[in-house]
Parts: sequence; structure tokens; C-alpha cells
Amino acid sequence: MVANGVENGVANGAMAGVASSSQPVAGRMIYGRSPKALLNAVFREERFFLILSVFIGIFSGLAVVCFRFAIGWSRLYLLGTGAVLSPTRLLLAPTLTGLVIAALVIHVFPLARGSGVNQTKAALYIYNGFIPFRTAIGKFITAAMAIGSGQSLGPEDPSLQIGACIASVLGRQMRLSRDRMRLIAPVGAAAGLAAAFNAPISAVLFVIEEVIGRWTAGILGSVVLSAVSSVVVMRLFLGSESLFRIPAVQLERPSELIAYAILGIVGGLASAVFSVGITTLRPKFKALPLWTQYLQPALAGLLIGIIAWLGAPQVMGAGYEAMDEAMHGRFTWQFLAMLAGLKIVATLFSFVSGTPGGMFAPTLFIGAMLGAAVGGAEHVVLPHLSGSPGTYALVGMGVLFAGFLRAPMTSVFMVLEVSGNYSIILPVIVANTIAYVISRGLRPIAIFDMLTRQDGLELPSMEELREEGVLHVEDAMRAVDIPVVDAQQTVAEALQIVQASSAEEFLVRLSPSGWNSVTKQQLRTLVDEGKGGTSLGSQLPIRQIPFLHPDLPLETALRYVDRWPLVPVVSRANVRQLEGVISERDVLERYREFGES
Amino acid sequence: MVAEHENKTGVEGQFDLRLYVKQQPVMLALLALVGVIFFLGVAGLSRGYHAQREALGDRWFSRGVADLNAQRYDGAVADFRSALLYSRDNYDYQLNLAEALIGRGRTAEAYSYLVNLWERQPENGLVNLELARIAAQRGQRDQAQRYYHNAIYAVWPGDQEAQRRETRFELIEYLLRINAQAPAQAELMALQENLGEDPAQQKRAGALFLRAQDYEHALAAYRISLRTNRHDEAALAGAGWAAFQLGRYAVAEHYLQTAMALNPNDTDSEERLKTTQLVLRMDPFRRQIPVNERDKIVVEAFATAGTRLSSCATPKAAAASASSQPSLADSWAKLKPQISEQQLRRNPDLVEQAMELVFEIERQTSATCGAPTGEDLALLLISKLHEGN
Repeated sequence: MVANGVENGVANGAMAGVASSSQPVAGRMIYGRSPKALLNAVFREERFFLILSVFIGIFSGLAVVCFRFAIGWSRLYLLGTGAVLSPTRLLLAPTLTGLVIAALVIHVFPLARGSGVNQTKAALYIYNGFIPFRTAIGKFITAAMAIGSGQSLGPEDPSLQIGACIASVLGRQMRLSRDRMRLIAPVGAAAGLAAAFNAPISAVLFVIEEVIGRWTAGILGSVVLSAVSSVVVMRLFLGSESLFRIPAVQLERPSELIAYAILGIVGGLASAVFSVGITTLRPKFKALPLWTQYLQPALAGLLIGIIAWLGAPQVMGAGYEAMDEAMHGRFTWQFLAMLAGLKIVATLFSFVSGTPGGMFAPTLFIGAMLGAAVGGAEHVVLPHLSGSPGTYALVGMGVLFAGFLRAPMTSVFMVLEVSGNYSIILPVIVANTIAYVISRGLRPIAIFDMLTRQDGLELPSMEELREEGVLHVEDAMRAVDIPVVDAQQTVAEALQIVQASSAEEFLVRLSPSGWNSVTKQQLRTLVDEGKGGTSLGSQLPIRQIPFLHPDLPLETALRYVDRWPLVPVVSRANVRQLEGVISERDVLERYREFGES
Repeated sequence: MVAEHENKTGVEGQFDLRLYVKQQPVMLALLALVGVIFFLGVAGLSRGYHAQREALGDRWFSRGVADLNAQRYDGAVADFRSALLYSRDNYDYQLNLAEALIGRGRTAEAYSYLVNLWERQPENGLVNLELARIAAQRGQRDQAQRYYHNAIYAVWPGDQEAQRRETRFELIEYLLRINAQAPAQAELMALQENLGEDPAQQKRAGALFLRAQDYEHALAAYRISLRTNRHDEAALAGAGWAAFQLGRYAVAEHYLQTAMALNPNDTDSEERLKTTQLVLRMDPFRRQIPVNERDKIVVEAFATAGTRLSSCATPKAAAASASSQPSLADSWAKLKPQISEQQLRRNPDLVEQAMELVFEIERQTSATCGAPTGEDLALLLISKLHEGN
């Protein structure tokens, strides 16, 4: 948006000449008869990148489908085929698989640790889009084993990383430029996440919100194409049903939103607790002697097995079946609250032990259980509330997503997409916003940023970027303190007007539009040459000076103030109306003040 | 791209721009080929994966059905949940799980599943029926009726008409349970139109009509039923009871006698028959009765009423009779000397007078001293029979 604004801003000024001069070249490329030129036009990198995005989507979709199959088989062979699991398997499967995973992660796939979101961000900002293919293989195998054996982790973040990795490999094979290579990981990430969630809009939003951090037309097209194509592939093999289905929500009274607001408060607090747990325990586990890392996933698995054996097998794995059951009112609100607490514990240990797997699904699980518990408790106190357990569970998912993962926009659309139910939008917006604000207040640094810093990396914080103050031209411009002359006036008249001013450079308002500048010395020379009676406009160089608008980012001004000592700042409604002027010194002075503040 | 690549070539100076551009279509073609191979591979994998899951789902489902049929609801719930692991959206799995949950008494959970199923197939008869049952259990009468009606007009597997009929029977039972007689009668009328000559169904409808206190239709239903099977003792007893309630004691006697002949152990019918016969015998106003017999009946009835009156002389009854001017006991005592066969033959107006007092005594004592039995009951019924005459 900024870039467009900049281009629009200068289109009326000097840059317009540059743009118009490039137009004929483009025309020849597209409409020229030469096949070579046509080929060049078709395979311009940005178009090629779009085509490649579709392939990335297809390949990522296929990979995610395989990943889902792998998790399914892993669950089947490790935990058994029934919903009721035998105690032996409950205890042994996650423990023994944990040992194997630890060995694989330590010796074969060291980059497969963690969720995968930060690794994708690192590929974008540090490694120029490079992610080794081995990482995808490692993530695929270890995460499938972990989730299938019951570790409290989800398949979404690994899918995101697998998608990013596939994109990186394809980009390298296609020898893309460095700029494109940097962007290719998020494109694959969106594809992987979209396929994992069956939610293309949420995936695109998450990647924009959490990985890239900015909206640009160039990358948006590729991200959307890859996400859509991966979802199409995934639906072909796994069906197009929404992840969850709940009845339509009817808010009988607006006051019922208060009930959801309470859920937002509880969710915000739970998010903070979950976040504190992970960021506190993770460095402590990492600091333990190396040999303990062989045992950490196994011990986490054993802990989860014990929790399951004691009566809460719902905490095992991604937990989508349990979420579905919670939405269908299977559990009492007390049990739901307990499940939320146990899942926080189970996920904490699974994640900090270094077991590969994602946090999206556990976050949704905790949110769903918490939501249904709060909804159930509220129903006890206020039986007239119209929301079903499913409604509260679904809103709870969004609440944790907003509060813990700190992706507020994604959280809203994710709930709508995974349920296919748009009637829930009001409660979701209310609860998510409250949870986000509370979590932000209690934990100023988002979980992904915290994890990055713990790993010793300095990746940009998208949350900070979103909230960073932006300086505009109006913050640095100064009032017009010099005479302004019109191009229709004679040179002599102009000299007379500027004579009294101490300034040397003056602005000339052109007719019908545009601006130019002239110095006192130039006017004197023209008068001396006997051109005092001619119009000032006829004596000025053809090339105009650029102008700016007050609302443009200040960095836009930097492009011009070094070449023109004085740049006019004009109204958008009337470009002949001068709002102020800006010089290089004004800009630098403002930046200095901003930096000091 | 050209400019960028020129720049790149300038920096790296290793590959030719034209060659690079020419390679891209080839690379895309290769990519497409790899994509097709990958796709086919995943398709094969997918077939195997889904086939395995389908088989597992079916296996658990079969176990669940067996458990459900054997009323092992806990096992059935676990089995159906296992089946749903492999086919989350399978309609039959969910429906059976809901039924198992209902069997287990977990109606809230079942209701949630059923509502989802209803949203997917609002015309499904079984889902509507289960939802109606839950609503009935929860005392949500309007919802229950709505779901029952949905079920009556819904799509059913197998014999659709029979299922719809059964559902309407169930709705009527429900309405009678909650004492909603009028809607129950309306449903019964609608039901009877579709029953045809089926004796069993007509007999069932007759019983429900009896419970709905629609004796005319009950008698009609039993008569239709008896057309096919004249010796159906339950239908005969029902018809007898309906005729009894309608005051058609001669008809009732016929049916009840036949029923008793077929089943002498039917104590209800025996009791009703006795009362019927008493009514028939003790009614002095019945047609073609000889005068001397009529007078004899009046004398007996007067004596019976007197006995009833004296046996009902509780403080409450005394207070009740004290308030009436003059009291029944006084009236009875005053009339008593005149009630003899000779006096009645001499003064036939006394018959009316005596019987009016008898009826009044029976009515008042039944209100104050509880339901009468035997001859008193017969006299009360005769009084109702001649009410308004």
C-alpha cells in the first residue's frame, strides 16, 4: 500500500516522466512479433513466480496429504485402532517413540526441532529463502511419529514448514533471483498451512500477519495462488468438509456478548499462563546436559501417557476428535476445564522437550476446552443463554489463537473457516479482541518472538512492526516562509517579489499544474540578459520538481530532498495549493527527534 | 526479469540470459511431469489409506451395532466412537452413536449429535423421532410435537407407512401421558383414517381412543377389529367398556358376556358386566317393563338409596345434608311410608318422585362419600342415563 501510495504521489510530478518513458518498451515486449520477445514477456520473473506458486501449492498440498496419512498410520500402529486405548499402549507408545524421535532429531535431523514457524521466518529474513530439503524429510517423519504416538502437538506448523521447504527447493531449482527466493518460503508456508487447516484465507492471513509482516500486491498474489491450489489438492484426497461443524448461532440478546467477553478474559489469562510456561521451561530444558535430550521427548511422552491412563486420553495427539466431542456437549464443564489445564501441561512438556510438532492444534484444543468450560459454567449461572457448547468451544479456539499465537486477524477468520459458520462472527470478534489485549498487556513479547530470541536470532517482530509508529511528511514539513511566484508572472515581477526575502531558492507554481523552483540569482541573470519582460514559465527548465502530500510516509521524502533543496508539500484536493515545504534538513531533523524519543 | 537477470548475469557472469529464459518452459514442463507422478503416487496411497480406514470403520460399526442390539450401551458408545475415528462424518455411525448415548441416558450428548444430523438431513425420520423423544423427556412439548410431526411426514427406510404409523402411535401415547386429550383425539382421528381394516391396528387405536375418552370412536374401532376376528377377547372387552361408557348397556352386556366367555379370568370385564347387568335390571324406566316389576325395582332402589344414605352419615356428609333444605334424610324418611308396591300401583306419580330422590341421594353421596359400588353404582349410572329426561 505504501509503495502504491508513493508511486501515485509522484505520478503527477517528475516521476511521471520516467513512467511514461518506460511504457513503449513494455508495449513492444507484449505486442511485438518477435517470438523471443514474447517468450521473454511470458516468462518475466514475476509471472513465472506466479506459475511457480501454483506448483508450490500443488506439491505442498500433496506433501501435506501424505503427512496426514503418515500421522494416521502412525496413530493406528502405535496406539491401536479403537477410541478406547489399552493402558500398555498408552504408556509405552509415546515413551518409546519419544526415544526414537530424540535420536533422530539429535543425529539425523537437527533442524526438525520445534514448530517450524520461526524456521520459516528465519529462512525469509536470514537465509535468503534457503531451507534444506532434509529438514522437510525430518519434520515429516519425526512429527508424524510424535503426533501419532500421542505427543501433545499438532500437524499444522510442521505442514507449514514442509510447504516452505518444498517452495525453497523448487525456487532453488528454478534459479530464482535473491529477492524472489526470500519470498518463496512464505509462499510455501501458506500452501502448507492452508492444506493442513483446510482454510486458505486463514493461511494467507497468518503468513502475511506473522511471517512476512506486510501486504504487497506482488507477494499476495503468489501466496493466495499457492494456498488455493494446495487446498484444492488436499480436498481432492481428504474431502472438503469443515474441520468442525456446529449449529448456527443465534444471539437472542446483544447482552449475551458479555458471556463471550468473559470467555475473552479467561482466554487472555490462560494464554499468558501458557506462554509463560513455555518461555520459562524451554531454556531450562535446553540448558540440561546433552544426554538428557535423548530422554526429554520420552519423558514428555510418559507424562502424557500417565495423564491419559489416569482418565484424560483426550490430551494425546492433536486432539481434534476430543474437540469435536466437546462441541457436542460430551463433557461436563468441570472436566472440560480440567482438560484445558492438562493439555497446557502436556503441550508444555512435549514442546519444550524438543519434540517436533506444532502448537496450533494444542492451542485450538485448549481454547475449545476452555471455551466450552466457560460456556458450561455460565449456563449453570445463567440458564437462559442461547449459545451451545459448540459455540463457546469454537469462540474459545479463536480466543487462544488471538491470545497465545497473537495473530488477531487470523484468529477471527480461522474460526469462521474451520467451522464454515459465519453467524458466529460477533462473539468471535469481541472475545478475541479482549483476549489479545489482555495477553498483550501481560506478555508484551509474542510467543514466536520470544522463542526466536531464546534461539539467539533477531527476527523482526511482526507485532512490533504492526504497532510501530510511522512518520509522515506532515510531521517534518514546515510552513511556507518564502514567497511563491506564479509562472505567468514576468521575470522582473518575480524578482521584485523575492527581492525582499532572505532565502535564495523559491518555488514557482506552474499552470495548469505542477511546480518548479528558481533561485534569486537565476532571476537576476535573466533580468541582466534583458529577459525581464518575458514570462517566468518560459524561462524555466522543462523538467518539473516533484511534490509530496502531507500523508505520505516520511521515507518517501528522502527520495527527493537530496536532489531538490526544497520540495513542495501540496494538498491532495488541489495540487496548486501549497501546504508546506520540506528540505533534507527538515527530514533528518525529524528522524533525529524521533530516534531520541 | 530481463533487467534483473542482466543484473544477475553481470554480478555472477556465469550463465547466458537467453539460455536461461529458454530453459524455464522446459523446467516447468519437467515440474509438471514430476507433479503428475507425485499426484498419481499420492492417489494410490490415498486409495489404500481410505480403504483401510473404511474397513476399520465398518468393523467397529458392526461391533457397535451388535452391542447396541444387545443393549450393551457402554460398549456400543465406545465402538461407534472408534468407528467415527475413521469416518467422522458418517451419518449412520453418528446416528447409531446417538442412539447408544440415548440408551446410556446421555441425552444431552446425543441431542447435540442429533441436531447436527438433523441439519444435514431434516427429512430423516429416525433423527426426528429421536429428537422428539428427547424433547418429550425434557418436557419441551411444542418441540416434541414438532419433531414427532416431522417424523410422521419424514422419509423412512423400509416400510415407510408402518414407520409413520408407529410414530403417530408414539405421539398419541406421549400426548395421553401429558393429559393432552384434545390433540391426542385429533391425532387418533388422523391415524384411524390410515389404518384400514387391520384388526390389530384398529384394536390398538380403540384402546387409545378409550384412553382419550373418545368412546364413540373407540367402539367403532373395536367393531372394525371384531369384523375380522369375532373372538378377540381384548377387542370384545374394549368394545364392551366403550359401550358401557356410552351408556349403551345392552350392547356392553353383549360384548362383555362374550369376552367373559372367552376369558373368565378377566376381572375388569367381570366387574363391568356385573354393573351393566345391574343397570339393566335396576332401571325402572326401561321400555316394555311390566308395572309390577317396575314397582318392585323402585322399592328396592329406594331401600338401597336409604342404606347408602345412612352408611354415608359421616360428619362431613351430615354437614352437607344439613345445608340442603330439606335434608335428603328427611325427604327419604318422609317418603319412606309411601314407597310400597301397593302404594306405587295406586299412585304411579310416586315412581317418578321416589326415583328422583334415589338419584339425588346417589349423586350427593358419591360426591361426599366416594365412588359407589354395586347397586349404588348402578343407580348412579341409571341416573346419568336419564339425566335431562
